[in-house]
Amino acid sequence: MSNSDGNNLLEGLSKAMADAVEKAGAGTVLLNARRRFPASGVLYDSDLILTASHVVEREDGVPIILWDGAEHTANLLGRDPGSDLAVLRLSNPVSPRAEFAAQEARVGQLVLALGRPTPEGIQASLGVVSAVAGPVHTRRGGLLERYIRTDAIPYPGFSGGPLIDSAGQVLGVNTSGLTRGASITIPSGLALQIAKSLAEHGSVKRGYLGVRSQPVEIPQHQQDGLGRQQASGLLLVGVEKKSPASEAGLMVGDILVGFAGQPVADPDELFTYLTGEVVGRPTAVEIVRAGKLQKVTVTIGERK
Amino acid sequence: MNLGIDLSVTLTDSLADLCQRVNQSLVVVQNGRSGAGAGVIWRSGGIVVTNYHVIHRGRPRVSLLDGNEFTTSVHAKAKHIDLAVLKLEIPETERSALPIAEIADSRNLRVGQIALALGHPWGQLGSVSMGVITSLGRVPLRWRKGAVDLIRTDAGLAPGNSGGPLIDASGAVMGINTMIVGGDQGIAVPSHVINEFVDEALGQAELPVAS
Repeated sequence: MSNSDGNNLLEGLSKAMADAVEKAGAGTVLLNARRRFPASGVLYDSDLILTASHVVEREDGVPIILWDGAEHTANLLGRDPGSDLAVLRLSNPVSPRAEFAAQEARVGQLVLALGRPTPEGIQASLGVVSAVAGPVHTRRGGLLERYIRTDAIPYPGFSGGPLIDSAGQVLGVNTSGLTRGASITIPSGLALQIAKSLAEHGSVKRGYLGVRSQPVEIPQHQQDGLGRQQASGLLLVGVEKKSPASEAGLMVGDILVGFAGQPVADPDELFTYLTGEVVGRPTAVEIVRAGKLQKVTVTIGERK
Repeated sequence: MNLGIDLSVTLTDSLADLCQRVNQSLVVVQNGRSGAGAGVIWRSGGIVVTNYHVIHRGRPRVSLLDGNEFTTSVHAKAKHIDLAVLKLEIPETERSALPIAEIADSRNLRVGQIALALGHPWGQLGSVSMGVITSLGRVPLRWRKGAVDLIRTDAGLAPGNSGGPLIDASGAVMGINTMIVGGDQGIAVPSHVINEFVDEALGQAELPVAS
């Protein structure tokens, strides 16, 4: 390719990024829910705003400013401090809503962090995806199944705003409320799942099994019995009375190795499977008892 | 996938070419003990633009990145917009050899477009950092009435970047890097503000239209 083609490419990329900011910026709102420090939110449905929980200090009549300067108000529907997400409902539907990326962020991908902390206009910073990882225990006692880290600068008021790709599609919601002195991004898939629960129930439903456990090694001959390579499982060291686990007959000393068809190798993994989706549902749990694999059906309760 | 790799190599090469080209219009402004700042060859006749705070004390000396050094006079300065116009003292015949920077129309900038900062951060001559335009704003002037447009960028700036150009993806100068806020936000004075100031300083309200 000639030099001028290269330059056209660079100018093309520059224009694409400005277009992406304009497109996603239209679905990024200013949220005035704490004193003196406005933050940002993502319009994910015509009347629903997803933002960071820690920027929402007042819950009713929260002033919202849209991309075109129009002023609205919204009320808090629910929040999940564990993932630092909150959902607010606008008093009337508006457009356009943000578009979400179908695929998860990839390490090295070009991204832009957006924020609307002032009525002056959209703000953006450039970076790449540094890591996509999880699960991780957050500062507020929650467990985040997955998170994205980037090197884009999180300017003041960017919390609650979107992380977008170069096509203007939302990869996740940015927050500096979960890790001290840094910003992480809750991936779109997880954020929308939590948002759905917040909009419907006002909180995030989580499943309840009623066991205490610790990871243990599974000897090779028992792995043969599982019919798969799985080096560890969860030794049950406590079963709460009248819990779903005890009702189903689980006992101290059982080794939990599978949940709803998925292998379980450590307590975080079990936690991520105990979502609101499985509450009230009879679920197949695989255990090793006295060296033999058994399947037990447990009706999962709700963690209060 | 091969196409993707070819594209990114072309992109990387063109970025390097771009910086090399614009660096020819970048100058080093030495000012005694105040350290070095940067400047841009803005117009013909040896007209260089830099920041007021880079030259406000002493007598500045200007050199190109190839080491060619010039004595310089301060033609005009404006503290309230932190700008200064310098005139390089060189023979009329050699002035045309100075590569003049291409100037962008900074009234039509967009948030998210590529921004490259050229300058001498911590004395590292001809250094480049990349980012985007973070936001466009208008702030009240200090020391006098009125307001001025400005460009904010996430391209990394450090002492020594002052007076250097913030360029777009075609290599045209969008503004002059002037200030760092909060350690991680760069502020540039847009080219249309600079053009007005240079016109005024050179005593021509409107430039003759090139045919």
